[in-house]
Amino acid sequence: MSDTNQQEQQLIEWLADMNEDEAFALAKKMLLEEGIDPLRVMDLCRRAMDIVGKRFEEGEYFLPELVLAGEMLENISAIAKPLIKQAPGEAPKKLGKVLIGTVHGDLHDIGKNIVSFMLDINGFEVKDIGVDAPVQTFIDEINAWQPDVVGLSGFLTLAFDSMKETIAAFDQAGMRAKFKVMIGGGQIDEQVRNYTGADAFGVNAVEAVKLCKNWMGAAA
Amino acid sequence: MNPAQDFAIKIIGERINPGFKSTRALFDNQDLAGIQALAIKQAEAGARYQNVNIGAQALTDPQWMARVIEAIQEVVTTPLSFDFPSKAVQEICLSCYDPAKANGELPIVNSITEHRWDLMELYGRFKFKVIMMASERVENGKALGNKTAEQIYSTARRAALRLKNDYGMPLDDIFIDMSVSAIIADTEGLNRSTVEAIQAIGADPELKGVHMMGGLSNIGQQLPPKAADGSDLKHCLENAFLTLTVPHGFDYVLGTPWRGYAPLPEDHHVLKTYRNFLEQSGSNALRAVRKFYKA
Repeated sequence: MSDTNQQEQQLIEWLADMNEDEAFALAKKMLLEEGIDPLRVMDLCRRAMDIVGKRFEEGEYFLPELVLAGEMLENISAIAKPLIKQAPGEAPKKLGKVLIGTVHGDLHDIGKNIVSFMLDINGFEVKDIGVDAPVQTFIDEINAWQPDVVGLSGFLTLAFDSMKETIAAFDQAGMRAKFKVMIGGGQIDEQVRNYTGADAFGVNAVEAVKLCKNWMGAAA
Repeated sequence: MNPAQDFAIKIIGERINPGFKSTRALFDNQDLAGIQALAIKQAEAGARYQNVNIGAQALTDPQWMARVIEAIQEVVTTPLSFDFPSKAVQEICLSCYDPAKANGELPIVNSITEHRWDLMELYGRFKFKVIMMASERVENGKALGNKTAEQIYSTARRAALRLKNDYGMPLDDIFIDMSVSAIIADTEGLNRSTVEAIQAIGADPELKGVHMMGGLSNIGQQLPPKAADGSDLKHCLENAFLTLTVPHGFDYVLGTPWRGYAPLPEDHHVLKTYRNFLEQSGSNALRAVRKFYKA
């Protein structure tokens, strides 16, 4: 990357190569000792995350790298954020709002938690309403929060019915056109998507992020 | 020769499930002869039971499901396990199952939980064995996921004794599903809890006779095919889990009958790494997972 100097390139490499300790120490030094623009550092982190995401899609990396890289990003932004000079009252711009929950009858939360985490570090505002979420809870939360995307998670085959029921209730409540619905978890495929009436399905957290970015018109 | 004999375990054949790509094609083409051939293959490989999972079609096309069950029973005498957590679906399955075609053996209802106990309303009208999931419990009327060994163990104990005392079900007819979860995202010590719960159930004299089972295909999900030492990572992980739990009474695997399971030697890379992984939590668990495949 021609627009990065050697130190910046080093940070990107260490982050992308999962050299966690070195990457964190360097980022900290750049931010706290060298006074480098925190937005610049965060931009380097995002570039590294893009590389990690690409390696994940190419089968070189797996979920642990994805999550550990996400944690590095979180740790660095925890230092960077207070240093960002913000105009008063100006909130950092988010890509969009995603409401997510595991449908009723299903208590699985691992996949949902990873998707929430990945959406969050990719710039989405995420509201997680937990597991075994009744249809009415989804509707109440949607009315109150007005998300752009609603994610329904479920691991059991039983969850297919709950998803179908939940999405049908969105229809009946006259709110279905106001947001996109994505489903994920377990054995979900195109047949299940069709059965439930969701707009799209994803088989992993990277796909969930891509779906949301596409819907929000952001570059994936 | 049963390839599973290296361990004291029996196999509930898992292949009749559209989650497997090759089986998926059989379902998509409504290929009953193909499904029958698969059932025969599992029986010949020593399956003690055969699990029947129809996927979402169980809801959209229950008549097709009934035809699948009848077709399987035409060609094998292995008793069946019906894999759908709905009373209406189970009722159809149990109605078309013929014990006479399975040497009088009962089918298995897969599965009940404390939260989905309504399936037991079918008991009496039908006779069956049951898979009871120990991964969730009901507390003050609310379903909660079990995370600790103590929660899993006490749910298993409570449910098994309830089946025995309230329904007169022999403990030998109860299979406790121990939910072996994917290590890849296990930052909460779920694998550790499962292993410790198996030890606790195995040591409980009042539960003597219950079976402990689980599907093992989750454990290696989304991991690369090869471990750092070049061994088959998923298969070795399954064997590592069994090496630690079979001595405590884990005796049934919902799995592929011809997969073949065997204990790992103590110094095997995957067993050592799994032992180390079991001691970690949080992001350290993820770092421990990376050691399976990163040299």
